[in-house]
Amino acid sequence: MKRRTFLGAAITGIGVSLIGKAGADQPPIKIGMSMPLTGGLAGGGKPSLLGIEIWRDDINAKGGMLGRKVELVVYDDKSSASETPALYSKLLDIDKVDLLFAPYATVPTAPIMPLVKQRGMVLIGNFSFQVNSKIHHDMWFNNAPWGPADAWASAFLDIGQKAGGKTVALLTADQEFAQNLAKTAREVAGKRNLPIVFDQAYPPNTVEFSSIIRALSAAKPDIVYVASYPPDSAGILRAVNEIGVGDNVKLFGGGMVGLQFGPVMAKMGSLLNGVVNFNTWLPEPGMYYDGTKAFFEEYSKRAVAAKVDPLGFYLAPFGYASGQLIAAAVKATNSLDQKAIAKYLHENEVKTIVGPIAFSADGERKETATLQAQFQGIVDNNIDQFKKPGKQVILFPEKLKSGNLITPFEAARK
Amino acid sequence: MKRNAIAFWGFALLFLAAILLSAQFVANEYWFFAGYVILQFIVLSVAWSILGGYAGYVNFGTSAFFGVGVYTAVFLVSAIGAPLALQIAVAAIVGAVMGFAVGLLTLRMQGIFFSIATIAVTIVVETTVTNWRSLGGAAGIQIQRPPVTAPFHSYVQMLVFVQALLVVLSVAISRYIQNSWIGRGLQALRDDELAAECTGVPTLRLKMTACVISGALMCAAGAPGAMYLQYADPASAFNLNYSVSVLAMALIGGTAHWIGPVIGAILLGVTQQLLTVTISSEVNVLVLGVMLVLFVVGAPEGIIGLFRKGRRSEGKA
Repeated sequence: MKRRTFLGAAITGIGVSLIGKAGADQPPIKIGMSMPLTGGLAGGGKPSLLGIEIWRDDINAKGGMLGRKVELVVYDDKSSASETPALYSKLLDIDKVDLLFAPYATVPTAPIMPLVKQRGMVLIGNFSFQVNSKIHHDMWFNNAPWGPADAWASAFLDIGQKAGGKTVALLTADQEFAQNLAKTAREVAGKRNLPIVFDQAYPPNTVEFSSIIRALSAAKPDIVYVASYPPDSAGILRAVNEIGVGDNVKLFGGGMVGLQFGPVMAKMGSLLNGVVNFNTWLPEPGMYYDGTKAFFEEYSKRAVAAKVDPLGFYLAPFGYASGQLIAAAVKATNSLDQKAIAKYLHENEVKTIVGPIAFSADGERKETATLQAQFQGIVDNNIDQFKKPGKQVILFPEKLKSGNLITPFEAARK
Repeated sequence: MKRNAIAFWGFALLFLAAILLSAQFVANEYWFFAGYVILQFIVLSVAWSILGGYAGYVNFGTSAFFGVGVYTAVFLVSAIGAPLALQIAVAAIVGAVMGFAVGLLTLRMQGIFFSIATIAVTIVVETTVTNWRSLGGAAGIQIQRPPVTAPFHSYVQMLVFVQALLVVLSVAISRYIQNSWIGRGLQALRDDELAAECTGVPTLRLKMTACVISGALMCAAGAPGAMYLQYADPASAFNLNYSVSVLAMALIGGTAHWIGPVIGAILLGVTQQLLTVTISSEVNVLVLGVMLVLFVVGAPEGIIGLFRKGRRSEGKA
């Protein structure tokens, strides 16, 4: 009897191991990407990658895609445009990846667009801005909520006009993203006959803004559209706090990068009050979709170990959504055929943890889902307050609106 | 001497033929992408060494020359759709003029002060381009490649061949300078500029020549970069990493002989490419720094110096 039990156990064991082996024999589906893990964009690249890694672990726990495990092949592009062509060529020719994700941000993405188009590969974009406008790659899908090029400026100026704003001031960093925003803001203001009374670009690495803020407030604008990078966003808010921008200003902010990152927000504290700024995801009612809450629970746990932004609202859930986009297309088409995947993503809306995503012909979102939200009631030195609703009330888009604008700007700061 | 020249040109032709043949037989494009970067660094470090090695004027402005090369090409493509050869030729001329201007700095500045001034040149040029809206300004600019011509299958293969031609050209120039009166004069002024001037070495003319040639070659090396990336933005084109890497390559290889920067560029270029795709970039930069420190302390004359030392001690034994 004993021997028989042993024999049975052995046969079962061999059987199980054979079945297991059959599953393991299937090579994994490789998704290749470069990511800025060092250099100026690393602050965004790391949480974005963590979002994608959480998706990979989730999908592998559910059995992977097409019955195969998902494996990520990631290289560091040092935030530089000159690194990515060689890295993506390696991903395609040496690593033979099945699918491609773009690196975070415009600069590292721009040089790979022609290569990816030439090879006929689907590319899931990661927060770059109008990078496909000249290349016209019909297999490009940007995960960012930007939407049409002018949507960003339109939304902000809309809020300003509704608050009674009639003149605009532009304060922009002399860097890629900020200048792209400034360009569309000028066009939109021109179309709406909003005179631009102040238009100043400042060099990157500027730390002292008091003279610029004085000049800005002397121009007495109603709407101040700021497009800045993390260090300058902090510098500008400090200068505004010391000098003030005048009672005319009804709306201040718009495109300040950095005010989405937990550590920066915690450091700025009450200086943020009143600023109306763009964002991509906020813990407001209406922003939770299937899986959103679970994602952030997992993210908070892993962010500590990965030493990245503990909040991770801005990029991480969109990294996860990139995976959801590709998973939905692969599942529906039951293949890794690039053309079929592209066709599916063009024709279908995909449900993700950041809401349903539908693409227009140029691979950007059909409708903008970029939020404009106002900081209200922020206190100093408390990062946990940002996890609660009501601290950044959404003013745009209308369907997600979670509060009202406090205006003028000086009143909102109190 | 003559036998050396035949060997050199024979090897150069063999090298170019190998590149041309590989374009026919190697289908995997990655080798061309990676090879392009390494060849580009060879041209840059050989060009750097003409001024920094032979004349001893340490130039931190490599990224300025490289970036100007890139943007000259961008300007020509977006303005008149110029072909690649014209882009490189014009970039070389612009680089020569810029080199002349940097040469004028040497009239008043030597040593560390000259080096600081070349960093300033980078900042001035980068700021200018950043504010040049028609060249894309800070937002960068995308350009499109024209279709590739035979015998190449892809544009990158052609760019690799073009960069290989530039390697041969720059090494030939560097070799000529080293073996001619210009090299001897530059060496004299590196050891003691005042003494050289007193003994009748035309130091100013030599320095100017070195600056102009070095500048022209660096800009020429940058020009195909526009078509390689099909995108240019000031932060990447004028990245200080070019200055640091090129300096490290020349110093690690050794600056006393033309082969030094070539060896340094191949060694560091390959190491950087390998590390980028195997470990992380943080380690990559660390390796560069550690290698530089080790060589400066242990082998101040670079790999070439080590070889010579080895030979000398063999001779003694």
